[in-house]
Amino acid sequence: MTRTGEGRDARAVGRSVPRVDGAEKVTGRAAYVTDCVVPGMLHAALLRSPLPHARIRRIDAGRAATHPGVSAVVTGADLVQMPGLDPYFGPAFQDQAILAIDKVRFVGDPVAAVAAATREAAREAAQLIEVEYEELSAVLDVQAALRAGAPLVHERLRPSQAFADLMGIEAERQTNVCYHFKLRRGDVERAFAEAAHVFEDTYTSPAAQHAPLEPHVTVAWVTEGGLLHVTSSTQSPSYVRLSLARIFGLPLSKVRVTVPYLGGGYGAKTYDKLEPVTALLALRTRRPVKLQLTREEEFVTIHKHAVTTRIRTGVAADGRLLAREVAVYWDSGAYADIAPRVVHKSGYTAAGPYAIPNVKIDSYCVYTNRPPAGAFRGFGVPQVVWAYESQTDAIATRLGLDPVAYRRAHLLREGDLFATGTPMRSLAVIECLDAVAREIEWGSGLAGSSPPAPEVREAGVPRRVLRGKGVAVGIKAALAPSISGATVMLNADGSASVLSSTVEMGQGSDTLLAQIVAEALGVRVPDVQVVHPDTAVTPYDTITAATRSTFHMGNAVLQAAARVREQLFAIASDRLEVDPDLLRARDGRVFVAEAEDRGLTIPEVFGAAFQAAGTTLVGEAVYQTSAIPTDHETGQSERVTVMWFVGASAAEVEVDLETGQVRVLRFATAADVGRPINPHHCRQQILGSAVTSIGQTLFECLHFEGGQLTNGSFLDYMIAGYRDVPPIITPIIVERAHPEGPYGAKGVGETGALSVAAAIGNAVHAALGVRLRDLPLTPERVLQAMREREPARAARRGQVERGPG
Amino acid sequence: MGFDLLEPRTVAEAVELHARDGNAVFLAGGTALLILQRQGLPLPRRLISLRGIPGLDEITAGPGGGLRIGALATLRQVERHPLVVRRVPLLAEALRQVANVRVRHTATLGGNLAHGDYRLDPPAPLLVLGAQVRAVGIGGEREIALAAFFRGLFETALQPGEVVTELAIPPTPPSGGTYLKYALSSNDWPCVGAAALVALDDHGRCREVRLALTAVAAAPVLVRGLDELARGEPVSDRLAARLADIAAAQVEPVGDQRGSEWYKREMARVFARRALLAAARRAEAGPVGDGTKEPVA
Repeated sequence: MTRTGEGRDARAVGRSVPRVDGAEKVTGRAAYVTDCVVPGMLHAALLRSPLPHARIRRIDAGRAATHPGVSAVVTGADLVQMPGLDPYFGPAFQDQAILAIDKVRFVGDPVAAVAAATREAAREAAQLIEVEYEELSAVLDVQAALRAGAPLVHERLRPSQAFADLMGIEAERQTNVCYHFKLRRGDVERAFAEAAHVFEDTYTSPAAQHAPLEPHVTVAWVTEGGLLHVTSSTQSPSYVRLSLARIFGLPLSKVRVTVPYLGGGYGAKTYDKLEPVTALLALRTRRPVKLQLTREEEFVTIHKHAVTTRIRTGVAADGRLLAREVAVYWDSGAYADIAPRVVHKSGYTAAGPYAIPNVKIDSYCVYTNRPPAGAFRGFGVPQVVWAYESQTDAIATRLGLDPVAYRRAHLLREGDLFATGTPMRSLAVIECLDAVAREIEWGSGLAGSSPPAPEVREAGVPRRVLRGKGVAVGIKAALAPSISGATVMLNADGSASVLSSTVEMGQGSDTLLAQIVAEALGVRVPDVQVVHPDTAVTPYDTITAATRSTFHMGNAVLQAAARVREQLFAIASDRLEVDPDLLRARDGRVFVAEAEDRGLTIPEVFGAAFQAAGTTLVGEAVYQTSAIPTDHETGQSERVTVMWFVGASAAEVEVDLETGQVRVLRFATAADVGRPINPHHCRQQILGSAVTSIGQTLFECLHFEGGQLTNGSFLDYMIAGYRDVPPIITPIIVERAHPEGPYGAKGVGETGALSVAAAIGNAVHAALGVRLRDLPLTPERVLQAMREREPARAARRGQVERGPG
Repeated sequence: MGFDLLEPRTVAEAVELHARDGNAVFLAGGTALLILQRQGLPLPRRLISLRGIPGLDEITAGPGGGLRIGALATLRQVERHPLVVRRVPLLAEALRQVANVRVRHTATLGGNLAHGDYRLDPPAPLLVLGAQVRAVGIGGEREIALAAFFRGLFETALQPGEVVTELAIPPTPPSGGTYLKYALSSNDWPCVGAAALVALDDHGRCREVRLALTAVAAAPVLVRGLDELARGEPVSDRLAARLADIAAAQVEPVGDQRGSEWYKREMARVFARRALLAAARRAEAGPVGDGTKEPVA
């Protein structure tokens, strides 16, 4: 491990300072969009499609329009008649209409919107809208969507122009595949022919819900000067501004997007969701309008991709990985949302962080008549890690090799080429693996299995169980190219303001940015105020997602603060008659490095420059990372990202042999965070990711029947609760400073989510000798797998249960 | 959606209000009703709230060691009541496992039973405790054995306009009891719930065995025909397994996302056996019931 940074000078950075928003949040005073009330505000409700795929023949909104309290009813047919309105939106393809035009594509597709005096009146009126549908045959899963002659979810597609990395994408014509990522490296077929062993498996990972505490909510209104003000629960205020400006034909200056605290996002609140329809209603009624989803609507708005991964690996007799061929099928639902980027970014990591000379990857983004899938913490990587880390484990086990040692031997090292041809750097994956293995005392038993468990007794009743240990690693690349702008204002009293479009969604960005500014300017963390996103004043930022804010916004803020510091030092150097390079800032003072008592307080520096109170020094910066686009045919790029982030997990599980239920007894998860700005927050992020992922590994799954979601509420869809958290769970920080990171930091938002499922699956295999390939690992699946594998033994067990003894 | 909330002060008045509007619905804790509303079922225009009726949530000692529990007592009130904890710890143990503490503070025991959902926890312990439901309708009052109360999916023996007012739990013989809730995650409904009560004679042999299962049929199941096999026998692993086979043969699981029909039947067998053994161990350790002290938990 290497360390860089400021050494003993680092006082605000590198310390677990308390959250700047902590007291406000735990006392319930923090305001969220749902608390936003604008005088004269109307409430909106949506009528949604009951069918997965149908042509809209006729809509009669007459009864709704005359319902008491109703101000406006809008349908897709109205949209096409509005002059200057482009009714389609979407970050990759502009494939989603504000309200369905001509046809509906999933159960839950918004068909009409109502604005009324109360939420109840709006909902009642929405139910009075009569829609006549002509049902079309639907494609309800990926297999159906890929069949020759399958009905098309979209007949034509229009790429969006919002992001550089997505500008080149082209949809395949007359199929439901809206994007196909290809990676070709080496000669896979020849390598397979030379391989001593070939492993081929199919792994699946189901659709799952983000379940943020706060549902999607947007308030829109038009203020003086024709300014469209939208306050919204979004992770991407800058993108939403751009999208609204385009939809409504407004200059960017006439769209103001503000985001207060966000009540959790996890990717669900990226790109446009409710903003276009809410803004439309506000413009139509010239009244403020609020739209807030119910939990049930939340379930059909966005989810984590259901994925099927076919993975084939050729291995030499000595265990070297010769070739890997991966085909990944992503069920993206009815609208692409950001799916093509998921398919691309996760696609090129689908062979894993291993030294494999021959790689072939095909990653397919497939439209189906299901609710849309999009970004979810990890951005598709956990689904492909589930496949490649389960199979890597199977390879080690089959060859009789220790899974940890096997991985260590074949993991990429500094300077090695990734499957994309990108040289790896700042990659502490082996250190992460070693850390988690140590934490669960790996090595006490062959191939990860624990010593046979003693009989477990509960309430005096014996239970027969087996225990096992498993590990997994994961890798993800930071989004590139990407851009963060920031403004830092230092006030005459030594307090500072940060203008940034990074959304504080619970991850701790307010505290982190305050720490960076406090460190750079030598002021106190509590005196730094981070101004929440307001596109009227906060500069462009690509998005608060993708584990990018610490690195990108951190750098932007650091550079902006450095520009303030330059001005501060320039003034002070005049007054102190010393070269500015010799000056330092700390404890609210500017002083000479080798003569600390020679200095000025910040108010004294301001006094020297300005003859007025309350003045400011302002610094601005835009931090931009670049990348070389992957080649269309080979997926190769010398620089696919600027930053890799890697992690590892280790689990010890206990499986009940009669029920199949898996209990995680011990769990450790490590993330290479670079140099942590706030170690405690890093550990919390790692822990939070792990707990969420444990729920997704063991029981979370969205069930569909005929395109209809059947467990779309918290009655029937469970997320991990406190009592589902393993009794021992340890988040571990691994530090490999990034040369370009702010103070060496990388980021940590997703790292803890990458490898959880595979570690648990591998532990189950170690316990039972049975490999499960479908998530979640429900007890029924585990029991079934045990019985299918060894029917004879199961039958004997059955007799033991019933027979004497 | 708008509705009228009627707030009678007596049970007779409540029943009378329903007689005037047969579409009205009785409201107790409201947790189930709220769920139905959120699932898109239209709420009735008229709700008859039972919450303002004095005395309907009282918990009192019954004759000879039994208990009377007012229908409007919340699950939490019942769970924490000293009489319940002392006389029927099995019930307190089961209620502790229902949903979460916020729901338990709102949901009522009477409402829980009247709802007739197949996957609720409280019916299982109440079935093995031999509870009687007291119901009042326009025609008067009657008692219904809980064993005859559950008829099918969301179907109970209650007549339209009848309201549950009280639950009577008769004295239990000195025995050990347990409720095992088997769920896929900590906040979930049960995949299977199993309640068992085992009474032993002085030689540690079975005097009486009672077992009820929930979530494994359209209605909670009180397993029949166990005593014939068990009476006079020590509760061995073998006996428990044979009794569990009898139980598994009496369930008719409807597959849901918590388990297929096959899996639920298998789990009915597993948890029937575990519950019987656990109840027997408690009976051996120190039975509760008439004139006995609190159990060893």
